[in-house]
Amino acid sequence: MREMLKKIILVGGLLVSASAWSAVTTFELKNGLKVVVKEDHRAPVVVHQVWYRVGSNYEHNGITGLSHMLEHMMFKGTKAYKDGEFSQRVSKMGGQENAFTSSDYTVYYQMVGKQHLEAVMKLEADRMRNLQLDDKDFQKERDVVTEERRWRTEDNPNSKLSEQFNAMAFVNSPPHHPVVGWMQDIKSWTLPDLEGWYQRWYAPNNATLVVVGDVDPKQVKKWAIKYYGVHNSSKLVPPKPQLEMLQEGERRMVYKGTTKLPSVMMGFHVPTLVTAKTDAERKEAFALSLLSSVLDGDDSARLPKSLVRESKLLAGVSTSYQSTSRLQTLFIFQMTPSKGVTTQQAEKAIWKAIKKLQDQPVSQQELDRVLAQEEAAYVFGQDSIQGQAMILGTLSSTGLPLSTVDNWVKSLRSVTPKDIQAVANKYFNPDKVTVGTLLPNGKQASSKNMAMPSGALR
Amino acid sequence: MSITYQITFSTRLNTFVSAGILMALSLLFSTNALAKLDIQTWHTSSGSKVMYVYAPELPMVDIEVQFDAGSARDGKLWGVSSLTSGLIGTATNKLTEDQISEKFNTIGVSFGSSSGRDSASISMRSLTRPVILKSALKTFTDVVSHSRFKKSILEREKARLRLGLEQAETKPAALASKAMWKSLYGEHPYAHSPSGTLQSIASLDAAKLAQFYKTYYVAQNAVISIVGNVKLQQAKNIAEQVTQQLAKGHKPKPLSFPKPLTQAKSETIQFDSSQTYYSLSQIGIDRKDKDYLPLFVGNHILGGSGFSALLMQEVREKRGLVYSVYSYFAPMKVPGPFVIGLSTKNSTAKEADKVVKETLASFMKDFSDEKLQEIKDNLIGGFPLRMDNNGKILGYISMIGFYDLPLDYLDTFPDRIEKVTKQDILKAWHRKIHQDKMLTVMVGKPQ
Repeated sequence: MREMLKKIILVGGLLVSASAWSAVTTFELKNGLKVVVKEDHRAPVVVHQVWYRVGSNYEHNGITGLSHMLEHMMFKGTKAYKDGEFSQRVSKMGGQENAFTSSDYTVYYQMVGKQHLEAVMKLEADRMRNLQLDDKDFQKERDVVTEERRWRTEDNPNSKLSEQFNAMAFVNSPPHHPVVGWMQDIKSWTLPDLEGWYQRWYAPNNATLVVVGDVDPKQVKKWAIKYYGVHNSSKLVPPKPQLEMLQEGERRMVYKGTTKLPSVMMGFHVPTLVTAKTDAERKEAFALSLLSSVLDGDDSARLPKSLVRESKLLAGVSTSYQSTSRLQTLFIFQMTPSKGVTTQQAEKAIWKAIKKLQDQPVSQQELDRVLAQEEAAYVFGQDSIQGQAMILGTLSSTGLPLSTVDNWVKSLRSVTPKDIQAVANKYFNPDKVTVGTLLPNGKQASSKNMAMPSGALR
Repeated sequence: MSITYQITFSTRLNTFVSAGILMALSLLFSTNALAKLDIQTWHTSSGSKVMYVYAPELPMVDIEVQFDAGSARDGKLWGVSSLTSGLIGTATNKLTEDQISEKFNTIGVSFGSSSGRDSASISMRSLTRPVILKSALKTFTDVVSHSRFKKSILEREKARLRLGLEQAETKPAALASKAMWKSLYGEHPYAHSPSGTLQSIASLDAAKLAQFYKTYYVAQNAVISIVGNVKLQQAKNIAEQVTQQLAKGHKPKPLSFPKPLTQAKSETIQFDSSQTYYSLSQIGIDRKDKDYLPLFVGNHILGGSGFSALLMQEVREKRGLVYSVYSYFAPMKVPGPFVIGLSTKNSTAKEADKVVKETLASFMKDFSDEKLQEIKDNLIGGFPLRMDNNGKILGYISMIGFYDLPLDYLDTFPDRIEKVTKQDILKAWHRKIHQDKMLTVMVGKPQ
């Protein structure tokens, strides 16, 4: 029974998929706008997203966070629509809308009933080129972003650790700085900085339009031409390469924050599917992705099983690896030691797990488990149209083929235990590690309660 | 899918500021304006209620078993509900922790258990290929019906929980939330944190967890929700299979009603943070409250609809005081809280407090007809979005099942919203919200 089950899972990849992910329509407008349309007719709704290829990794020191600030300002009005009108109109359609900025892209999205698609395309296309920036709005929005940074980072010791850890791991390349920007930089942005950034990057030939839902791709194309097609393309000047220098020797830092729990981050520079130049390097990226799953992809994975449940050295552990990152990235281990366990002991426990990966190939059984979950995830991932759009937009924005998602399991399957062992040996090198430790600073809350009489609040 | 998008990002308005809140909100209100949701319901032979929607488009199924077994049932054993839920899936009569996770993981099943104040649930998502689903259901049934609580695992989880509880003392937002529940609910079972306290969890042993499980994880106290590519007869078989080995048991007694504050109350916790974490709250309504609809629509105008809400306009857009400000009702088995929340730099905490109170007062006095129409358009137009995938549908039908709401609850929603008048809203708010008896909580160094 068990053998049979295994066999079915192994050959099952193509049997389970209801429809291929990459059954998408793609085209490019004359002005260079890329368009990706995926039909999903399960519900009468549609998600509409515009992805600009700009984010914190396009910034340099002094203007950090500018992409994110621009994202905030994009809701402030154009010649045709006054401040706040964009959101108001989408709201009246019953739509949900928002935007976000990452290191590699800035994304605007609306989810609406399908009858409203044309209206949101018209709105979004308008602000691609016609934003009107005003100094008063700019000053107030800078305050909002400052509050955002306080909430997101200043009062969160783990965010602080992670920010400083990245600043140390990346010396001369853009992941050195946070998406939200350094507080000092936030304070010194000017309106012309912002205008320049908008002019430079918000162009049809620097964007991808992603539409997923109950739509007819032909109709989407007509509207795309009608609304987005009116814009001229820009001459894009890419940022300087700023390739991260080779790390020579361990790097280490300690951050002391208001916390009771210490935690440790360990990172190693690794390639991604985007930075890979050859098939061999691409295979390394898939091997690293599998490696991450073998270590902590589920509760049967090595790290939670051996370090949280068996030896109980750690209260929590995770690994992360962004295989679709546009620039060189880090393979990160993050752990919270159990009570009475030092951060040094936690680090040692991770090195021991790494050594095991370097000395012995992972078992076929472990790989089969990971692959079975990837197969299932391929189907589960199709439940959300927003999730599907996110993946297609990520691939398009980082220059990866959309077929990456359909070939994902196949690509993972081509990785052997020896390949995984090889990347563990190549990249998890003690002379190339960056270690960040969060330690308690000893501060804590002191309670002072005041009961107020009725009516005193007015 | 391991192709994930970047996790480090910044957004115009972070939606997980209030993930729990949004969940509560979206569960609170939704329906499909265009297509009716075909919910079928029945009881299993052992008395569990079943809620089912056929969704054949993807070869997968979601199954959730929900019990009236949240922390409101802790009694004096604060934390017992949460720990019991946390240990579900760590041992059964036949299987060890590693065996259970291997059995699910090798066939790609997502399994989980969770709990809150009102309920605890066990859920799984599986492919519907027969050989996989059969195996998944076998393990799932075993876990639902025959969970065991091992001393060694409990000790390990208690050690992790202790760290979590200590850590919560260093998080201003967590402190603010804890203080709010405690001050609003006093001696009521909703008052304590579902995680318990360092002191309360010390007294919890495996026998107490087993007793809690035996009392509350029973067929009569269970609602099973199924959404996916399984036909009616198969859904019936699944519901029978999952519950047939559960003890029949009985439903617990209804919870007592919490007592509202009799006067305004203010609480400040000094904390070394750059922002002050603020809430203005009061005990609100239960899930079946007759005023629920006008309160909900009104809350959308006040602070529940993102950028178009009055609070967002006044506190963020006009004054730049915050990144996020929101309000919500959390309707529960018995009245849950009504909350307005924000965080702002310490030097503007008192100003933000003043603006919030003035905005609430002004809203309860009057608001424009135009605003009301905008919000109605938003709610009615947005219905299809609230049920456009299996995960969301599961959330709705389990809510309808758990809170005994009528089956056409969703279908009738657009009409009911359309009919709400400004007077309905103002009257309901004045019946339920008493501005002179609210709780103000601030954590930080407010100035």
